[in-house]
Amino acid sequence: MADLIFDPEEHGELFSAYLDGQLTPSEVAIVCELLDGSEEAIEEFRYLRSTRRALRLLPEFEVPAALLPDGHLGDRLSAYLDGELVSLEHRRVTKHLVDCADCRAELQELDRARIAVRSLPGVETTMTGEIPATPVPRRRRRIIAGAIGASAAAALLVGLAVGGGDEPVFVLDDLNARHVARASAEPGFAFLPSTIEVAAP
Amino acid sequence: MTDESTPTWEDVAHRYGRKIYNFAYRLTGNPDDAADLVQETLLRVRKGLSSYQPGSFEGWLWRITRNAFLDGIRRKKRRPESALPEGDHHSLGSSPSPDEVLSSIRLSDDVQSALLKLPYEFREAVVLCDVVGLSYDEIAEATDVPVGTVRSRIHRGRKLLRGMLTWPI
Ligand SMILES: [Zn+2]
Repeated sequence: MADLIFDPEEHGELFSAYLDGQLTPSEVAIVCELLDGSEEAIEEFRYLRSTRRALRLLPEFEVPAALLPDGHLGDRLSAYLDGELVSLEHRRVTKHLVDCADCRAELQELDRARIAVRSLPGVETTMTGEIPATPVPRRRRRIIAGAIGASAAAALLVGLAVGGGDEPVFVLDDLNARHVARASAEPGFAFLPSTIEVAAP
Repeated sequence: MTDESTPTWEDVAHRYGRKIYNFAYRLTGNPDDAADLVQETLLRVRKGLSSYQPGSFEGWLWRITRNAFLDGIRRKKRRPESALPEGDHHSLGSSPSPDEVLSSIRLSDDVQSALLKLPYEFREAVVLCDVVGLSYDEIAEATDVPVGTVRSRIHRGRKLLRGMLTWPI
C-alpha cells in the first residue's frame, strides 16, 4: 500500500466518523494507517476525540414533569378490567397498580361502576340499540377512548353507579382473576365499555 | 401492526420526552423553547401515531421533532434572544464534589455557547449525534439529507467547536 499523507481537510472527517463507529472496515484500515504514519494525524484525532467527549458529557436536563402525561393508567384501566390487555401491557399495568394508590382507587370505582351498569336490566341493548355482532377493532377503540378522554368515560361510568354500597376490601389479584374469568365466560361482557364510549359525546 | 410494535403516545412521552427536551435545549440554550418543543412534538406524535408505518421509529420521531422545532423557530423569529441558561438548571447526576460541579458548569456553558455559534445545519447534526445519540442513518432520515452529508456536517461542526473551546478542556 502506498504511504498515505495526512491531510486534515481530506481525512479529518474519517476520524470523526471513526469515533462514532460509523466507518466501513476498509475505511477503518485507512484511519489506522494514518494514525500510524503521522504525529499531526494523532493530534488531530485527539482534539476531535476530546471535542466529541465534551459534547457527550454535557449534563442532561430533566424535562419538567408538567410537560409529560402523569403516568397513571387512565383509559387502560377499563381494558384491564375487561381482561383485554396483551400480556406485556398487562404486566406493566399490574405493576403500576401495585405501586399507585390513585390508580387502584380509580380501578375500584370503575369496577363498582361496571357492576352497577351490568346489573341494570337490558343495558347492553339500550346503550347503542343492539349488541355489536363483532368487537370494535382494538386500534379504533383506543383512538375513540383517547379522543373523548379517559375522565369523560370514567365520569359516565361512575355517574351510572348510583348508591355504590359498602366499601369492598380491595385485593388486586382477586379482582384481576375475577374479571379475566368473567370476560372469558361472558362474551358480551367485554364489549360493554366500548359501546358506552362510542355513545359518549 | 401489533400493540407491541406501535407505542402509545404516553410511552413515547416517557421514553423520549427528556431527549426531545435536551435536543431543543442544546439547540437554543433556552428552557422555554425546549418546553414548547416537547409539547408541540408530543401533540404531533399523538396525531401521527395512528398513521405510523412500522419502520425506523427513531427516524420518524426525530423528523417530527425537527420539523416541529423549525416551525417553532419560524414562528418566533422576531422574539428577542433569551439569556443563556443559569447554572442551576443543570442536572449533574449523583452528588459530585463542589469543584467538579463548578468546572462542569463552566465547561458545559463553554460548550453550550460554542454550540449556539455554529451554523444551524452543523449544530443540528452535532446535537442529534452527540446529545440525542442517533446513528448517522437515523440523522439522515430525520433531517432528510444523504448519510454522506450527515457525516460531513458532524465533522465540520465538531471542528468549528474545537476552534471555539478553551483548551485544554
Ligand atoms: Zn397511577
